[in-house]
Amino acid sequence: MFPVPKATTRRSRPDSGDTDVARLRVVDADSYTDWESVYRDNVVRLYRLMYARVGNRPDAEDLTSEIFRTALGPLRLASSKGEVRSYLLATAQTVLASHWRRTLGVSVTSIDPESDLDALTENSGPEEVGDAPQRAGKVLAALPERYRRILELRFLEVCSIKEAAHAMEISVSNAKVLQHRALRMAAKVGLELEQ
Amino acid sequence: MTGRRLTAFIDALVSGRRPDSYRADPEDVEVLGAAIALRAARPGDAVPDDAFVAELYQSLGEENSTAVASNVRPLRMRRSRAALIGVAASIALVGATFGATEASNNGATTTSAIQAPHGKILRTASFETSQGQALGQIVVYGGSPGWVFMNVDLPTSNDSVKCELRMLDGSVVAAGTVDLRHGTGVLSKKIHVDTSRLQGATLYGRSGAVVASATFA
Repeated sequence: MFPVPKATTRRSRPDSGDTDVARLRVVDADSYTDWESVYRDNVVRLYRLMYARVGNRPDAEDLTSEIFRTALGPLRLASSKGEVRSYLLATAQTVLASHWRRTLGVSVTSIDPESDLDALTENSGPEEVGDAPQRAGKVLAALPERYRRILELRFLEVCSIKEAAHAMEISVSNAKVLQHRALRMAAKVGLELEQ
Repeated sequence: MTGRRLTAFIDALVSGRRPDSYRADPEDVEVLGAAIALRAARPGDAVPDDAFVAELYQSLGEENSTAVASNVRPLRMRRSRAALIGVAASIALVGATFGATEASNNGATTTSAIQAPHGKILRTASFETSQGQALGQIVVYGGSPGWVFMNVDLPTSNDSVKCELRMLDGSVVAAGTVDLRHGTGVLSKKIHVDTSRLQGATLYGRSGAVVASATFA
């Protein structure tokens, strides 16, 4: 399923009627030599990208697995790393779209193969956490105090709704309403920051 | 009801659990997106577990060792979707040749070689109802010949839907019919149109009513 390419030569698919033609293909240093190297170089970055799009570990793990299972099968030639990453990202885009269609029926987040390509490049180290904390910080800073507090308690300090209500000295139902309104405003602020 | 499910979804996000599925209202999207963005900002979970990375590596390796040489992958429940993804992703890889999988509703698959395009000639769009509900995806490839691939999910339907491609000049080209089985169907076929001039696609039910439409970016 995941053919391991030869080190420097490879038999390409015939593009004419001559089925015995063997073509040499130069594999430069910017290429992957086998599926293991594709996996090792991209698994952390792909997981991180999917986690940023779904916000929970179980789904991020499942989607990362699905991307590799889908992408590695058709991968036949040792292409450049950039080409392979574009391919992985195109697969991730479709896998994520299918995930939202399956789970919610609407697309909540998406992947743009062009603008998100940086997430898979070497400029983005596997240990980096991306700009999500900075972006969240800017959004929270732009919110009114009570909105900011409820979201900090819930999403950053992992309080239950009851704990958050207690910390803010409000009822649980009020905390739910406050959280909902705060998320709506956070979404609006996030959009404004993007523009 | 939806509000309760939205709250439950957010509660699961906060606690790091997998949220339950539900039919979300379009107005839930911005709230869900904001919740995901905030959850993703919390340090820790953005890096995968070493155990997950190792187990997936081992699992892929085992599949590799047991796979047949034909490169026809085992089909499971979501085979039509996986096939569409495989086709679309294969074509998207610029500058190399990849195997692409054609799929049909009866599950038979074949593999064929497609020269991957040079340049941005792969276009995708989602089929949506007039209420904004996503029903599937369409991918067109502007090579020679061009190809169209689509999957349609109409829960519980065993009927068929007709797909027409809309050109920028207002003309319409029939793309084919998607036969649904247990609500799901896929279609892949050659097309002879200038895909750069495509505006979108429309799905029609047997009565002629519009089921969903898609607009290419």
